[in-house]
Amino acid sequence: MANEKTAGEPKVGGRLDAIAPWALAIGALLATIGFVVNFTVAPLVNGATVSEPAVIGGTLVGNKLLLSQKIFYWHMPVAMASFTALVFTAYYSVRFLMTKRYCYDVRAKLATEISLIFVLCTMVTGEMWTRFEWGVWWTWEPRLTTYFILMLMIFGYFILRNAVEDTERRAVYSSVLGILIFIDVPICFMITRLIPSSVHPVIFRTDSGLSPEMLLPLLLSLFGFLLIAFGLYRLRLRTQLMEDSLVRIQDKLED
Amino acid sequence: MDPVLAEIYSTVLDAAPFVIAGYALLFLVLCAYVVFIMTKLKRTEKKLAALEEHIDELK
Repeated sequence: MANEKTAGEPKVGGRLDAIAPWALAIGALLATIGFVVNFTVAPLVNGATVSEPAVIGGTLVGNKLLLSQKIFYWHMPVAMASFTALVFTAYYSVRFLMTKRYCYDVRAKLATEISLIFVLCTMVTGEMWTRFEWGVWWTWEPRLTTYFILMLMIFGYFILRNAVEDTERRAVYSSVLGILIFIDVPICFMITRLIPSSVHPVIFRTDSGLSPEMLLPLLLSLFGFLLIAFGLYRLRLRTQLMEDSLVRIQDKLED
Repeated sequence: MDPVLAEIYSTVLDAAPFVIAGYALLFLVLCAYVVFIMTKLKRTEKKLAALEEHIDELK
């Protein structure tokens, strides 16, 4: 199948590959600036009320100040990067089912792999917050539960890919599963609107409650991690395409 | 330290290890993935170079 369907496949080393290292570098820079602004400009959020207010830096503070919320400035951007990668998984899966071209299956697999990396990043940062704030490693809160299901489905995607040996069947099955995984993305995204939770606030709305000093590091990190995700995806794709070319050349030589 | 300020900042020091761990783990996951990609890329490039050499010898 691979040999028949490779004629129209995009080549390695195109314009997107040329900008991938730049995307990675600019993404890393933006995320780093976001990190610095987070700890220097963005204020600490308020926690429980204290017995007596005090004036700090000209502002009357009547609540405990929470450092743990600082995790949010990279936690939310990596979660968004994982969702974005899954949008591409679904797109390439649909493209594969429409055209039956192997190149789309490869791209869907790699987009899912990128998503898995960012899901893991989201999970570890979220776990740290949960552990400190609630004193537990896990709780069945709506957003956590839907995101956990998303992670399990991504694991299932790779287990399925390894379990099916036939290339065409594997590509078809995983494309269908890729689309199914994508269905969980809007559920996961909208769950805080459907079942309001005090833990996960609704960020994307006209008044998110975030001050400009808080929004700036968040947006810098968000664009930074989206660029990092893109750069990593192109780098991984380039490697995969080179590996596939190598296998094809070796097969031809053996013939 | 002023007792009121101590109460206001009471959770900051306790939270610091978790915040540091959160950022460090995220960074580690991304670094591990970059190392994984780069290792794969280098190995493939080596194999391609060896294959090219082999083809030249055949000629």
